[in-house]
Amino acid sequence: MIETRGLSKAYGKTLALDDVDLDVPVGSVYGLVGPNGAGKTTLLGVLAGLRRATTGSVAIATSRVGVLPDTPLFDTWLTGREVVDLALFMTNGVHDDDRVTTMLEEAGIADAADRAVGGYSRGMLQRLGIAASLVADPELVLLDEPCSALDPLGRREVLDLIARMRGSATVVFSSHILADVQEVCDTVGILRRGRLVFEGGLHELLVGKAQPRYVVRLRPPLEPVVAALSAADWIDEVEIVGPEQVRVGAGNLDLLETRLMPALAPAGAHVVSLSPEAPSLEDVFLEVVS
Amino acid sequence: MNLWRLEWLRLIRTKRIVGLLGVYVFFGFLGPLSVRYMEQILENFGGGVQIVVPEPMAADGIAAYVGNAAQIGLLIAVGVAAAALAFDAKPQMGIFLRTRVASIREIITPRYVVTTVAVVGAFVLGSVAALYESIVLMGSLPVADWALGTLFGSLYLAFAVAVVAAVAVRAKSVLVTVMIVLGVLLVLPIIGIAPAIGEWLPSYLVGAVDGMVRGVAVGEYIRAAAVTLALTAVSLWMAVRWAQNREL
Repeated sequence: MIETRGLSKAYGKTLALDDVDLDVPVGSVYGLVGPNGAGKTTLLGVLAGLRRATTGSVAIATSRVGVLPDTPLFDTWLTGREVVDLALFMTNGVHDDDRVTTMLEEAGIADAADRAVGGYSRGMLQRLGIAASLVADPELVLLDEPCSALDPLGRREVLDLIARMRGSATVVFSSHILADVQEVCDTVGILRRGRLVFEGGLHELLVGKAQPRYVVRLRPPLEPVVAALSAADWIDEVEIVGPEQVRVGAGNLDLLETRLMPALAPAGAHVVSLSPEAPSLEDVFLEVVS
Repeated sequence: MNLWRLEWLRLIRTKRIVGLLGVYVFFGFLGPLSVRYMEQILENFGGGVQIVVPEPMAADGIAAYVGNAAQIGLLIAVGVAAAALAFDAKPQMGIFLRTRVASIREIITPRYVVTTVAVVGAFVLGSVAALYESIVLMGSLPVADWALGTLFGSLYLAFAVAVVAAVAVRAKSVLVTVMIVLGVLLVLPIIGIAPAIGEWLPSYLVGAVDGMVRGVAVGEYIRAAAVTLALTAVSLWMAVRWAQNREL
């Protein structure tokens, strides 16, 4: 859906984007993550046609693009319904009251649809922006921090909305909330100082970074178990990581898979569960950008 | 909702149309009235001193209206136009519009046309009020010449809104736009102090309605009108060109 090659954007002597080769598959939900100032908004701006690349090329396979800025703003004297209706008309040249109503309902602001936008909270503006971005049924949706102003319920609804678009539209969204990216994205791009330092499937990213560690959930007391495990010479690390959780690390996963269970019984452990420690996107992200 | 209705609603719901009409029509009535009763007004403020002023003519009523319209009216008109045409002043609003239209002209055209119609309409209504009251209070006026003069004044206002359009797409805020445009519009009459140049400038049209009801020939304003038309077109072309090149 999107392909950039050698994409760079300079502001004076500062390179906001540096030789970015982006590949966004058709129908994917692509998460763009990176620290503040990494170039996420600039990259989305270039993809949306709002900024010109200094060098390189951008190829987008559709002209039906929906764009949501990080803090959407509208004329305060319009109603929410009028904003979405205007967005639909500007894009497709048609009026469709049913479509507008459906989008307002899906975005969770149907009750406030006929109120002036000036009275909306930031979260409601974000929802309205999402409705306005999706009302024309775009094939590509560019969302800049779509959940940044939302309460937990709103965030859940927006993530569900994005997840439902998978397959029918291609979604690129930037976010600081890595849990959101991990939840809904199938492809991830990590930007650091304008460079795309990782791009690929989320699974590929996380599996490649998996550590040889298990998390064991136990009934208290934990200390005798920790002492017993620490005495084993094949175990590198034993750490209490929660009220009923112990993390155990070894030289490789094979050791843990074959020797951890037999080691727990003699230690008097009341085991509730045990499983390999899955790396979170946050852990991997911190490792990649550091 | 479309972009033309959006601009109409902007004028109505923000009550800017009331401000525009109010200012121009108010001065349309106030100008001739103040001229007609100037002697009495001055006497009331003069503490018993008798002040003699020349017998007012109907054309003086028009001149008083033009004087106020060219200052306070123009200030309001530029403010209203800047608020409509500086659509990138808040980038998020600019993004909403720009990412949905095929051409930037689709945004600029309705904003320019609707604002110009409102400003010119207010000016014409004020001019009608001034004409009516001047005739009632001070005697007859050549209505055909007044109409042509009002047309020239309207052309100047269309030019002023076009300058706003050009400046608004470069400036970062509505206030900066207003300041720059007022600067440009104030510089023109200063340049025009030299008669050989002044008769070619758009600012020459500001006093056209006053001049024409006093018998100045229409040909006197043709050169300035032609230059104003050309500069209006250039300003609008620049507005589109600069808006296309602007990054958000």
